[in-house]
Amino acid sequence: MPDLSLTNSPPLLSLLLLTLPLGAALIWVAPRPSWARAIALGATLSNLAIALTVAALFERGDGGFQLVEQRQWIPTLQIHYRVGVDGISVLFLPLAVLLFVGVVLASWTKTRAMPRLYFSLVLLLEAATLGIFCALDTVLFFLFWELSLIPIYFLVSLWGVGPRRREAAVQYTLFMLLGGVPLLFAFILLALNHAELTGVAVPAGLSFDYQTLLQTPLAPGLGPTVFALLLLGFAVKTPLFPLHTWLPVVATDGSAGVAALMTGLKIGAYGLIRFLVPLAPETARDYGWVLAGLGVFGVLYGALAALAQTNLRRMLAFSSMSHVGLVVLGIGTLTQQGVQGAVFQLLNFTVVAGGLFLLTGFLHHRTGTADVAGLGGAARTMPLLASAFLLLGLASIGLPGTGGFPAELLLLLSAISSYPGAGIAALAGVVIGAGYLLGIYRRAFLGPVTSTVVAAAVDLRPRERLVALVLVLLVLVPGLYPRLVLDFTQAASSAWVARVNPAPPGP
Amino acid sequence: MPEALFTLIPLPPLLAALWIALGFALGRDRGEAGERGTARVALSAAGLSLLLVLAADVQALLLGPPGQIEAGTWLASGGVRVALGLRLDAFGLVMATLVALIGLVTLRFSVHYLHREPGFQRFFLGMSLFTSAMLLIVTAGNAVLTFVGWELAGVSSYLLIGYAYERPRATDNANRAFLTNRIGDAGFLLAIALCFAWVGGVEWPQITEGATDLSALQLGLILFGFLLAALAKSAQVPFSAWILRALEGPTPSSAAFYGSLMVHAGVYLLIRLAPLLELAPALAALVALLGLATALYGWLGALTAAETKGSLMYATLAQVGLMVLWCGLGWTELAAWHLVVHALWRAYHFLHAPALMHWVPRPARPVPAWLARRRWLYTAALNGFWLDAVGDALALRPARQLARDVESFEERVVHRLVGLPEQGSGVHSLARWEEARLGRAAPRHRYGPGVLGALMDSLSTALHWFEQRMVLQSGGGGLRRMVRVLGGYLQEVEALLSQPRYLVLLILATLVVIL
Repeated sequence: MPDLSLTNSPPLLSLLLLTLPLGAALIWVAPRPSWARAIALGATLSNLAIALTVAALFERGDGGFQLVEQRQWIPTLQIHYRVGVDGISVLFLPLAVLLFVGVVLASWTKTRAMPRLYFSLVLLLEAATLGIFCALDTVLFFLFWELSLIPIYFLVSLWGVGPRRREAAVQYTLFMLLGGVPLLFAFILLALNHAELTGVAVPAGLSFDYQTLLQTPLAPGLGPTVFALLLLGFAVKTPLFPLHTWLPVVATDGSAGVAALMTGLKIGAYGLIRFLVPLAPETARDYGWVLAGLGVFGVLYGALAALAQTNLRRMLAFSSMSHVGLVVLGIGTLTQQGVQGAVFQLLNFTVVAGGLFLLTGFLHHRTGTADVAGLGGAARTMPLLASAFLLLGLASIGLPGTGGFPAELLLLLSAISSYPGAGIAALAGVVIGAGYLLGIYRRAFLGPVTSTVVAAAVDLRPRERLVALVLVLLVLVPGLYPRLVLDFTQAASSAWVARVNPAPPGP
Repeated sequence: MPEALFTLIPLPPLLAALWIALGFALGRDRGEAGERGTARVALSAAGLSLLLVLAADVQALLLGPPGQIEAGTWLASGGVRVALGLRLDAFGLVMATLVALIGLVTLRFSVHYLHREPGFQRFFLGMSLFTSAMLLIVTAGNAVLTFVGWELAGVSSYLLIGYAYERPRATDNANRAFLTNRIGDAGFLLAIALCFAWVGGVEWPQITEGATDLSALQLGLILFGFLLAALAKSAQVPFSAWILRALEGPTPSSAAFYGSLMVHAGVYLLIRLAPLLELAPALAALVALLGLATALYGWLGALTAAETKGSLMYATLAQVGLMVLWCGLGWTELAAWHLVVHALWRAYHFLHAPALMHWVPRPARPVPAWLARRRWLYTAALNGFWLDAVGDALALRPARQLARDVESFEERVVHRLVGLPEQGSGVHSLARWEEARLGRAAPRHRYGPGVLGALMDSLSTALHWFEQRMVLQSGGGGLRRMVRVLGGYLQEVEALLSQPRYLVLLILATLVVIL
C-alpha cells in the first residue's frame, strides 16, 4: 500500500517538471525570437539547481522511494499523479538535465531557423524525460513516455542534418508507437491482475501505482506474458537487436543535439531495470538468460558493426548499442553487482555517449562531415576537440580513471560469475571495442591534414570548451571516486535484488 | 611517518599529468614558452614520488617493510569490495624505488631531448601518466588497482608511440600495440572476475593464500587470465611483435617503457603469482617454454636487426624471456634480481642509443657466419618470424571480415526487414522497390493534392503491389520463386560455414551456450 504520509514531502519533483513547460511558454511570449536560447538556458539551469537539490536531500541509506508526491488525477480509474525517486533513479535527474544544458549550449549559435520552436521543443522533451525518471504511476509513466515522441519527431525532421531526416523521424516515431502498445497492454494487465487479486470490482480495484504493483503477486501464468510485453516495449527503445535500426539513422540524420539525447539517455534500459524485472520477478528469475543472451549478442553485434563504419556518428550509434548490450547482460544476472554496474554505466553513458555526439556535432559543424573520408588530421587544427573526444572515447571502452571502468568492472564481474560463457564473450567485446574506437579515431583525427576544411577549422570556442570541460570532469570524478555513485544506488539495488531473489544472495 | 601517507606514492605524477592537461586546455601552457613550467611540474612530481618511496625504504630498513596498508574503500557493491591500498613488501619497495628513479632520470633526460619539439607538453603528460601507472602496478595492494595501472600504462604507451601522430605508420603501430595489450587486459579482467567469484576477494595476499583451496580447473583458469596479461605486457611469444612496432615513439619513452619498465611488468606479475604457479606445474612449464622461445627469438632477432633501437629491443626481449623462463622454473629470486639489474642497465643503454653511433668507432658487426649460412633461419629472424603476419591472419583480418559481413547483414537483411525503406514507408515503398527491381515503372495515379491524395496514392500502389505479387503469381509462380530464393540463402549460409572464421565462430558460440 502506498505510504500516504509521504505525500507531504516538498514538491521538488513537481517543481522540476513544471519549470520547463513554463520556460517553453515564456519563450513564446518573449518579445524577440533571439531571446529563446537565453530563456531555455535559464530554465534548464534553474532545473539543474532543483535536480541537484533533490540529489542533496536524498537519504542515501534508504532503499525506498523518497520525495513522493501524490495527487488525484483520474479517480474513477484509480490513476494518480505520483512522482518520487529512489537510489536507482535519483542521479539520472541531474545528469539528464546537464546533458540538456550541454545541448542548449551546443545549439546556441547553430540553430538559426525557428529558434522559439526549437528551444521550446527541447524544454518539453526535457520535461518528458525527467517525468519518465520520476513517474511512480504506470499510466503517468506511459504518458511521459509517449509525450517524449512529439518533440523528438519535430526536432529530428525539422532540424536534422541528413538528407533522410524526415524518414528517420517517421521511422523513429512509428517504432516507438509500436513499442508503446505492448507497454500499455502490460500495464493494463497488471492493473487488472491487482483488481482480480483484491477481489474488488474493476474500476475501483484497478491499480496503476508502481509501489502497490510491486507488492501484488502475479496470477499464475501471467508472469511470462507481462515479461514478454514489457521486454518488447523497452527493447525498441534500448535498443536491442533486431529493433535497433532506427538508432544509426537518427544518429546520422538527426541534429547533433538530438542524437546526443537519443543515445545519451538510455531510457529503454532504465525501463528494464525499473519495470521489467521488479514487476515480473519470478519470470525474470526463470528467463534472466533471455536478457543475458540478448545482451551479449548486442555486445558483439554492435561492436562488429561499429568496426565496419566510416562515419563517426554511425560508429557511435553501433558502439552505443554494444555498450547497452553489456548493461542488459548485467541486468540479466539479477545480482547486486549487475544492477549497480548497470545503473552506473547508464549514468556514465549519459555523459559519455551524449558528450561524444556533442563533440562530433562540433566537428561536423566545422567540417560539414562526420565521415572519415572528409576528415583526417583533425588533431592538428583542433587539438582540444581531439583530446576531449579521445578521453570520452576511452571512457566508453572502460579506461581506468573514468567512470566507465568501475561500471564495466561490476558488469563483467556479475556476468562472469552468473553466465561464464556470456561473460567471456563480452570480454571479446572489450577487445573489439578498443579496435573500432582507435581505428576510426586514427582515420578521423590523426594522420596528415588532407582536406582544406580541416586545415581551416578552428579549435573549440570558449562556450564549447566549457561544455567539454564539464563532460571531462563528469567522466573523471566518478572514475576516481566510484563510491560517489555507488553509495546512492547501494540500498535501492539491494532492495531490487531482494525482490527477485528472496533467498539470501550468494557471495 | 604515518603509513597511510605512503598510499600517496603513485599520486604526484598523476596530478602532474592532470595539471599539464589543464594548462594545455586553458591555453596557458603551449609551445616553447610552456616548456620550462611543464618540465618543472613533471620533474618535481616524479621527485616527490621518489622521496616518498625512499622514506618508505628507510622505514622498511629500520622497522621492516610496512606490508599491506589501506586507506579506505575504493569500490563496494554487495559482496564485492576493492580497498584503496598498497602492498609495500620488500619486493614491492625495490620495484617502486626502481620505477621512481628511472622515471625521474628519463624525464630529466627528455627535457633537453625534446626541446622545441611541437608535442613537448603531450610527451610530458604521457610520461607522467606512465610513471604514475607503473608505480601503481608495482605497489598496488590488490589486483584491481594493479589493473588500473596496467591499463593506464597501456594508454600512455598508446599516446607516446603515436607521438608523431601525423605519420600514419606511427599511429598504426600505436593501435597495434594497444590492441595486443588489450587482449592481455581482457585476460586480466577475467582473472579478477574469477578471483571475486571463487576466492572472494582480490587483495594479493588473499589470492595467493586462497588459491590453495581451489580445484585444479579453477586455479588453472585464474592463472590463465593472469598469464595472458603478463605475456602480452612483457611481449613474450606469441605477442612479441607489438614491442618492435612500439619503437616508433621518441627515444626516452622507448627507454622507459619497453627497455626498462613496462616490459618487466609481466615478469613482476609472474613473481607476485609465484605461489600460484607452483601449484600448477603444467602452466609453469608452459610459461618456461614461452620464455625460452622468446629468449631464442630475441637472440636471433638481435643478431640480424639492422638498426640500433631494433637490436636493443631484441636483446631486451631475450633477457625478459630468460626472466620468464626463471619464473616458469620456479627460480623467483633469480628472476627478481635479473629484473632489477636488467632494468637499470637497459635504461642506461636506451638513453644512450641516439649517441651510440658517435661512440662506437668500428662498423656494426656482421651477421655471424653460422647464421648467414642458414638462409631460412636468417630470413625468418630478419622478419621477426612473421609473428605480425600470423597475428594479422589469425585475428585482425577475420575480425575485419566479420565486421564487413555484419555490416552487409545489417544493410541487406535487418534493415530491409525492420529498417527504414529507401523512400516513403511501409508497403508503399516495398512496392516501388519491387517495381524498380523488375524494371517496371509503377503506374502513378494522383488522386488529388494534399494529404488525402498522397494517402490514396500510397493505398493504390500498395494494392497494386499486392495484386502483382500475390494474386497474379499464384498457382506456383510465386511459390517457385520463394523456394529458389530460400535455396539461394541456404547456399550462402553453406558457403559462409565453409569459411574458417564462421566455423570457429560456430564452435565458440556452442562453447558459450554450453557454459
